[in-house]
Amino acid sequence: MSDDPDKVWPTGLTLHEAEEVHSYLIDGTRVFGAIALIAHMLVAASTPWLG
Amino acid sequence: MFDYRTFALRKLVSIAPRYLPFADVATDDVPLSRLLRLSLFQVTVGMAIVLLVGTLNRVMIVELAVPATLVAVMLALPVVFAPLRMLVGFKSDTHVSALGLRRVPYIWKGTLYQFGGFAIMPFALLVLSGYGEAVDAPRWMGLSSAALAFLLVGAGVHMVQTVGLALATDLVKEADQPKVVGLMYVMLLFGMVISALVFGALLTNYTPGRLIQVIQGAAVITVSLNLFAMWKQEARDRTRAQQMQVRPRPAFREAYVKLLDQPGKMRLLVVIALGTFGFGAADVLLEPYGGQALGFSVAETTRLTALLAGGTLIGFGIASRVLGQGGTPNRLAMMGATIGIPGFAAIILSAFGGGAPMFLLGTVLTGLGAGLFGHATLTATMRSAGPDQIGLALGTWGAVQATAAGIGVALAGIVRDLIVAAPGAGNLPAHVPYNAVFLIEILFLALACAILVPLVRNSRRAKALQTETQLQPASGLHTKTAEAS
Repeated sequence: MSDDPDKVWPTGLTLHEAEEVHSYLIDGTRVFGAIALIAHMLVAASTPWLG
Repeated sequence: MFDYRTFALRKLVSIAPRYLPFADVATDDVPLSRLLRLSLFQVTVGMAIVLLVGTLNRVMIVELAVPATLVAVMLALPVVFAPLRMLVGFKSDTHVSALGLRRVPYIWKGTLYQFGGFAIMPFALLVLSGYGEAVDAPRWMGLSSAALAFLLVGAGVHMVQTVGLALATDLVKEADQPKVVGLMYVMLLFGMVISALVFGALLTNYTPGRLIQVIQGAAVITVSLNLFAMWKQEARDRTRAQQMQVRPRPAFREAYVKLLDQPGKMRLLVVIALGTFGFGAADVLLEPYGGQALGFSVAETTRLTALLAGGTLIGFGIASRVLGQGGTPNRLAMMGATIGIPGFAAIILSAFGGGAPMFLLGTVLTGLGAGLFGHATLTATMRSAGPDQIGLALGTWGAVQATAAGIGVALAGIVRDLIVAAPGAGNLPAHVPYNAVFLIEILFLALACAILVPLVRNSRRAKALQTETQLQPASGLHTKTAEAS
């Protein structure tokens, strides 16, 4: 598909570029996950929903 | 058989690059619409500031009955992060990215933190105030989560503003920088005014559910506006990415020393600190002063804030125009500080027979001075930085400015309370504690002016030099004035 062996098909990004884009996704998931966890714990403290 | 794999991949490939969040080419000419879009990050910054300092300040004390000292400590937490702006700016200058991005990753990270802080803030506040079953929750839970929420929002605001301003500086030519600075300040003011009105209207009938809605709504708006603002602003650049890999990475200390080694840089920073401190304290004291010393009603004091903001807007407008036509930022900064002195003097005199007209005049003058001063010092900061140090320079500006403003607001309250609490203060007229603060502000502004004088002289000399040697190539002259200012 591409002349450059370093490029990842089909996006046309190089391997490093693809990894960087992926790292943003991973970081975002981690931050959002941690925030959701804390928020749930706080809500559980004020209005417990697990009995 | 239908080949799903090929079909899916072909569809993927055909997604045009215009749906990707980075631009494919860096254009020389940046249209106003794009700058307007970028300046939306300042709206979210203004919204965060209003929510913390204005709305939550009141809600925590009045509706949630959190002790006032605790509220003050929580609200002061974001200021702790202000010096870290320098580090963030520096890191964005030296960022290594395979995509060639420098600023956008940091704006995104800051947005995440800002969002995260707002997302947990309402629950943290409810637990802190012992709402529902949280009465039985351990005390540290509410305290630590509320502190975390405020720290996250503060860190996010500092990152977004520093790196966002750096990106704006990257995008435009030096001649257009005054316009961009004006735009950024106006959008900050706009964000603050609009969100203050909206939050005020939404929280008139306070319920815990409404508090959650409002703060989390702010979180969602923050993410959407910031995403929209940074969309396609920075170009994906393979050559720059390769340069990033091989470029020597200076240590923070070296870069910092290099920045401060510029002639007049340290002086400018001291001036920014003094001036921001002088103007900043007025924001919180004008309204209670109008109410207590001059007997204004609540609606009238709210209009005072509008008047102050109006003066500031006029200041931004004048500064954009004058600096865009080749005025020197230092002279304008000095003018701003000088206008502030009679402004505060008029405010003081209004309690000694000057009355309301004097007070209103003083308010407008103070706003005008603050606008001129803020605009001119930020423009000077932008111009004094080399292209590889823009982030650090703006980080330093932000660190000095945010710290000075925070200390100014805190100190204004403390000085006033101290005088009120002093023995024998019961007999003093209501205006005394305020006027003491206003006098201190005049002093600081005068000090800022005095420190600016040599800088203004230097830039005048540079300008004279420029007219003498007009045969030199224009680019060389540009750097000369930039260094001098």
